[in-house]
Amino acid sequence: MSDSPIVNEFNQGPISCHAFNGDRTELAICFNTNVVSIFRKSGASWTQTSTLAEHDKPVTSVDWAPRSNRIVTCSQDRNAYVWTLDGASHQWKPTLVLLRINRAATFVRWSPEEDKFAVASGSRCISVCYFEEDNDWWVGKHIKKPIRSTVLSLDWHPNNVLLAAGCADMKARVFSAFIKGIDKKPAPSPWGEKLPFNTVCGEFSNGAGGWIHGVAFSPSGESLAFTGHDSTITVVSPGTGDIQSIRAPYLPYLSVIWLNENQIVAAGHDCAPHLFELKGQQWAFTASLDAAVKKADVGFTARDTFRRMDSRAQSATSTDTEVHTHHQNTINSIRPFSGTPGHVEQFSTSAIDGKLIIWNANSISRGLGNLHL
Amino acid sequence: MAFRKIDIDALEEDAFGEDEIDFQEIGELRPLADVEAEVNSRAQEVRSLLQRGNTSGALSASLQNPPYGAPFHAAKARNTQTVMEVLNSIKVADVPQLVKSLSPEEQDVLMKYLYAGMAAPEQNNSGHLLAWHEKLTEVAGQGCIVRVITDRRTV
Repeated sequence: MSDSPIVNEFNQGPISCHAFNGDRTELAICFNTNVVSIFRKSGASWTQTSTLAEHDKPVTSVDWAPRSNRIVTCSQDRNAYVWTLDGASHQWKPTLVLLRINRAATFVRWSPEEDKFAVASGSRCISVCYFEEDNDWWVGKHIKKPIRSTVLSLDWHPNNVLLAAGCADMKARVFSAFIKGIDKKPAPSPWGEKLPFNTVCGEFSNGAGGWIHGVAFSPSGESLAFTGHDSTITVVSPGTGDIQSIRAPYLPYLSVIWLNENQIVAAGHDCAPHLFELKGQQWAFTASLDAAVKKADVGFTARDTFRRMDSRAQSATSTDTEVHTHHQNTINSIRPFSGTPGHVEQFSTSAIDGKLIIWNANSISRGLGNLHL
Repeated sequence: MAFRKIDIDALEEDAFGEDEIDFQEIGELRPLADVEAEVNSRAQEVRSLLQRGNTSGALSASLQNPPYGAPFHAAKARNTQTVMEVLNSIKVADVPQLVKSLSPEEQDVLMKYLYAGMAAPEQNNSGHLLAWHEKLTEVAGQGCIVRVITDRRTV
């Protein structure tokens, strides 16, 4: 496994969302259009094998269930489709899901057991959908109260019942999405005991307002991390009552994942994944995981300035329009790629620059190890 | 499908309006008299700290408990004046060290006041405020500026 990140350039426009299949041989990706493209890995590159075209408006989110191999897509057309692979024809067949929302769907995720999925929407509700055997269709139940604005992101708790939601009303909430008949009563957790559908198990703010762009439960489910447009990351642990808000000196993050119980990676408008670590009891920013792509000309000594004046007739500091990170534009999605939920080894990021990059978490910790005195 | 001619969001009954957002972010507003009294007493405290030469204490004191809330225009203007007095009486050479000694919350409040001050260039020395802005951004980063923009609690 090479240490440097694996950059995949598709050159088909900005990537709005992506999802890998269970064994990472296939990729579902949307280039800000009404269709989702399926790519298959061939050697070091990806070749397109099929197109999922049913939506009338841009697809906002896609998720691929690793074990049942079903894809769910949701779009601004207020619909979601569940796609199953037809064995004989190798075609993906769509099934419409009635979400009963009157605004765009923004985000979708399969539950850990893959028997439900949750769709966030601009209708200020979350549609939790499950398959009803009797009628042979997907039914959605709404989580509405007390959401006051568009739900921007979701994350499922490992127990398949609790659901975290980040919202444009500047709150991160944890709901119960318990469906009678589908779910068994969950074990008591720090989030609550009796948990009927739509119970609010927690409502949290970050420091200075701002939409909550990304939410993520820790691998054990004991803690919740969320990131807002005020450039903070907040980690909440209801078991200990601990709430920590880290004010980052960087541009806002749009997406977060946990590498393990002590490390969080967040990525967003600074175009690079940033690592936050738990040292003792305190969470703090550790480092950017993008060892900047070094360019020959980037020096600020007097000698470099004169050299630049000679070679490029530039008297000011470098007026390059390229950003010194692998991604050239905002990263909007970060997802675990390999390893287990409690020990993520690689993660993938997709960005508005149309690149999908797979990062190696292990090499990062080795590199950081070298930074110690 | 033709574009709608009705502004559907204006007809929304349960809209998440400004008042509700401010109540959520700022909370119950204190009585006007209390807020103004606090701002005035802070102005005096800061002035006396400045006279004694305690610039870091004056800076820190001026940045505590800003009068957040929509109805407090006069109090906000008065408080901004207090902060400007402190900033103007500190030499540029001392700025980096003072900025580093502030807590993250105080740094965010300071950035809010820098922008509030720069919004009135006739009254305040924008050049001096820009020097403060540069030094504060070196320490607190772009995140600090973003927080000024997203925070509903304005000065």
